[in-house]
Amino acid sequence: MVVDIDEKNLKHGVLGLVIALVEIIRDALNLQAIRRMDGGSLTEEEIERLGQALMELDTAIEEIKQEQGIIESVKSVRDGLDEIVDDVLDRMINPEKWRQEAEQWV
Amino acid sequence: MGLEMQHGGKTHATLATEAIAEEEGRYVYCVADAGEKMSLGKIGIAGHEVHTIPHKDICAVVHDCLAQPYQSDDQEVIKTWAMTHQKVVETAWERWGTVLPLSFDTIIRGEAEKSAEQNVKDWLGQKYQELKRRIDKVSGKTEYGVQIFWNPKAIAQNLAQTSPKIKSLEEEIKTKPKGLAYMYRQRLENLVKHEMESKADEYVTIFYNRIRKQVDDIRVEKAKKAENDLQMILNLTCLVYKDKYIELGEALDRINQMEGFSVRFTGPWPPYGFV
Repeated sequence: MVVDIDEKNLKHGVLGLVIALVEIIRDALNLQAIRRMDGGSLTEEEIERLGQALMELDTAIEEIKQEQGIIESVKSVRDGLDEIVDDVLDRMINPEKWRQEAEQWV
Repeated sequence: MGLEMQHGGKTHATLATEAIAEEEGRYVYCVADAGEKMSLGKIGIAGHEVHTIPHKDICAVVHDCLAQPYQSDDQEVIKTWAMTHQKVVETAWERWGTVLPLSFDTIIRGEAEKSAEQNVKDWLGQKYQELKRRIDKVSGKTEYGVQIFWNPKAIAQNLAQTSPKIKSLEEEIKTKPKGLAYMYRQRLENLVKHEMESKADEYVTIFYNRIRKQVDDIRVEKAKKAENDLQMILNLTCLVYKDKYIELGEALDRINQMEGFSVRFTGPWPPYGFV
């Protein structure tokens, strides 16, 4: 993950990071909302309200990204995180990796 | 046993200025299936002359250097070296047909009592059986890279038309008020994602088995990041008999013609992945 830290980029970098985190929280909220909806614990009216709120959050995030010109920087933060998670998972579930790494240190 | 292989990153500690045997090294590009002693010209890293050191019917392809790894802070310089390394391996491979490429920055150094040249010979001697066995494994075969991509948008569209579950959910969304429609669309997206994942699994298995039949050995590499709108679903390195190459090409061509799929077929390469 590359976050450039020179003065000109600092604002973009930090903002990109913040918005990326907001997006991730948004995704988690979405998942929870769907789970509740599928679980049947919400009334039609509650789902409608929840949907509207999440939709507004989506719109707000998109607007901020457009206005601040940080679409790319948010994407690069998220791609970077994806890669890290991918790497960790790969290491955990792939015994071949353990062997390779063990051999490296022999 | 008086033999040291150095890889980049480890530094040689001797600081004496005289050119003694200990400071001398041979940078080894690959081992080739030929017992010749000859020069390949000044095609090596930094223009060094590349020559061979034979032992019985095999030889090491080397250049003379100091017993220090090639190191630089400049990424471009390292890239150029690595590319030169690859070029030399390819030249040897074109000439002798079968080579075992070594990784970048493999240097065999001399000792007080023994020249680097002799050390290379001894190394070939000690490892002769194993080297021969590996040469036999890749002899008459070449390496190809096979990468299969799909276009997620095209596949998703296709799914929307063929999956009754997705179709009915889409119809339902149209009749709902804004907030509900949003929530249903989230649900729809999850459903599509899910179906796409199982589709990907299905195709990967089919493609893998088809390709497996045409090759001598196969390695599954990690799928790389998407390019443009394409997503890589399968990344393979294949060791292929030289005369089987056409069949593999045909099998890949059939995949390439499927809607939403494309194949990148690269090679032939020296067998980097199988030595």
